[in-house]
Amino acid sequence: MAWACAGGGVLKVFMLDTHVHTCLSPCGDLDMHPSGLVAAARAARLDAVGVCDHNSARNVAATMRAGARAGLTVVPGMEIASEEEVHVLAFLPDVEAAERLQQRVYDVLPGKNDAAAFGEQVVADEHGEVVALDDRLLIGATQWSVDEVVRAIHEVDGLAIAAHVDRERFGLLGQLGFVPPGLALDAIEVSRRTTMPEARARFGALGFPIVTASDAHEPKDIGAAVTLMLLERIDHDEVRRALEGRNGRAVLGGGRPMDDLALHVLDIAQNALDAGATRVEIELVEDLDRDLLTIEVRDNGRGMPSDVVAKASDPFYTTRTTRKVGMGLSLLGEAARAAGGGLTIESAPGEGTRVRVRFQHAHVDRAPVGDLEGTLMALMAGRPDVDVRFRHLLDDREFSVSSREIALELHGRSVQSPEGLTLLRQTIRRGEASLAARPMTAKRE
Amino acid sequence: MTVREAAAALGGAVASGETDAGRLIGGGYASDLLSDVIANGHEGDLWITLQKHPNIVAVAVLKGLAGIVLVNGREPEPDTIARANEEHVPIVTTRLEAFEVAGTLYGLGVRGRRSSEGVHA
Repeated sequence: MAWACAGGGVLKVFMLDTHVHTCLSPCGDLDMHPSGLVAAARAARLDAVGVCDHNSARNVAATMRAGARAGLTVVPGMEIASEEEVHVLAFLPDVEAAERLQQRVYDVLPGKNDAAAFGEQVVADEHGEVVALDDRLLIGATQWSVDEVVRAIHEVDGLAIAAHVDRERFGLLGQLGFVPPGLALDAIEVSRRTTMPEARARFGALGFPIVTASDAHEPKDIGAAVTLMLLERIDHDEVRRALEGRNGRAVLGGGRPMDDLALHVLDIAQNALDAGATRVEIELVEDLDRDLLTIEVRDNGRGMPSDVVAKASDPFYTTRTTRKVGMGLSLLGEAARAAGGGLTIESAPGEGTRVRVRFQHAHVDRAPVGDLEGTLMALMAGRPDVDVRFRHLLDDREFSVSSREIALELHGRSVQSPEGLTLLRQTIRRGEASLAARPMTAKRE
Repeated sequence: MTVREAAAALGGAVASGETDAGRLIGGGYASDLLSDVIANGHEGDLWITLQKHPNIVAVAVLKGLAGIVLVNGREPEPDTIARANEEHVPIVTTRLEAFEVAGTLYGLGVRGRRSSEGVHA
């Protein structure tokens, strides 16, 4: 995400996929060697990727070296299976911590791998060359209870995240029914099967920050689910602050960039910012009588000449240099056509751009709206210098919010402060909730 | 049959909740997913599992289970025993594996509730 060049605030929005496997995991594709993984993560425009192989960190150092060459932050990590078969992600400060934790895990990890049954466990260098094959039963479980796993992660100053809590198998809640009292988790993760709004509804009451990640085992899935964080820079301490909600650092939300409409909106808005827009207007209209869902994004950026407009929805065209193909608009157009709608772009040099996408609301293939809250938080908190306006119409009800209104209510305090973020989040949540309420009870103050 | 009688039949021992091991068993349920036991276990069931985490005690209390059988020679964690004693949940340990435990108890007349209700998921 090209937010690194963003202006107007100390904090920026970063896009992380915190849970990716390499070829060391027996189920991991052989193309997930360090340099292949890094290339795929760059193509997905991630700012950081967390390498979390099953019960091992042997490919962490090489992937970090490959990342350093390509300008991608690689977070050292591990996915540890507890004795109860609960998977816990370790988000570690450095290679040394990863190595210390790995040694301790290996001491409590019984069994030998059966490569024919589970797959090879390839240790590779940063060029993708095979260095060794690990023969431990990495797919197995350690002899640690989940409480001991969390303790071991904390002993090396790592962050402990319960992996895919929405999944029955290998998820904390499926395996153990509920969160054991006193379990000192730093966050919980949902898989890409669950959207962020669903995750907040199902797991928000647990009181942990919620992240989502791809759990990719092959390159095409890297970045299939991402978490948006507001940080000063991307490092372990900043991520810790975000999970703890300190100093304005925050987990904003996330979802599936290729699927969720809210993340497509974020992508379009980012195009607008890249085009120098100082105002971005987003309108979401749900007309249930006419069975229509329409999203329009308007900006006052430089605009595009007609030949560029014609190419903008071509999958092999992009003005960006950070990824090979401009998948965003073409994917969205395809998704719209698959759901009885379509996508139009109007633009002219000096006159800004208007992207309009329409879906049949109840179409079985219509993508979920996803995490509007995360998208609006990312735009309004990530770019306080930009005038962002959002309007959501649902039949005859309406919710709108803008950067200016929020700024006015903050009386000079920054939107990038804990109070600013809280006000912004509550405004969006209340507004969206008021739309979701039944028409009879939807009277707004 | 009581939990204590079941322990004897399994060649096992009552590791916790000894004073409550005289409780009658109303049926049997075998699962290692605690969420599944919460969803499908019945009051009075004797629950067969290899999970030994303290959460099993909470599930037993929540569902009003007669007791828990830990299979395969697995010993409950100290915290699990402490909580089971507090909450009066008898835990039986046995060297038998889950298949043998279920088979033995079935042979002695203990049934799963779904089969006896004629309900199949």
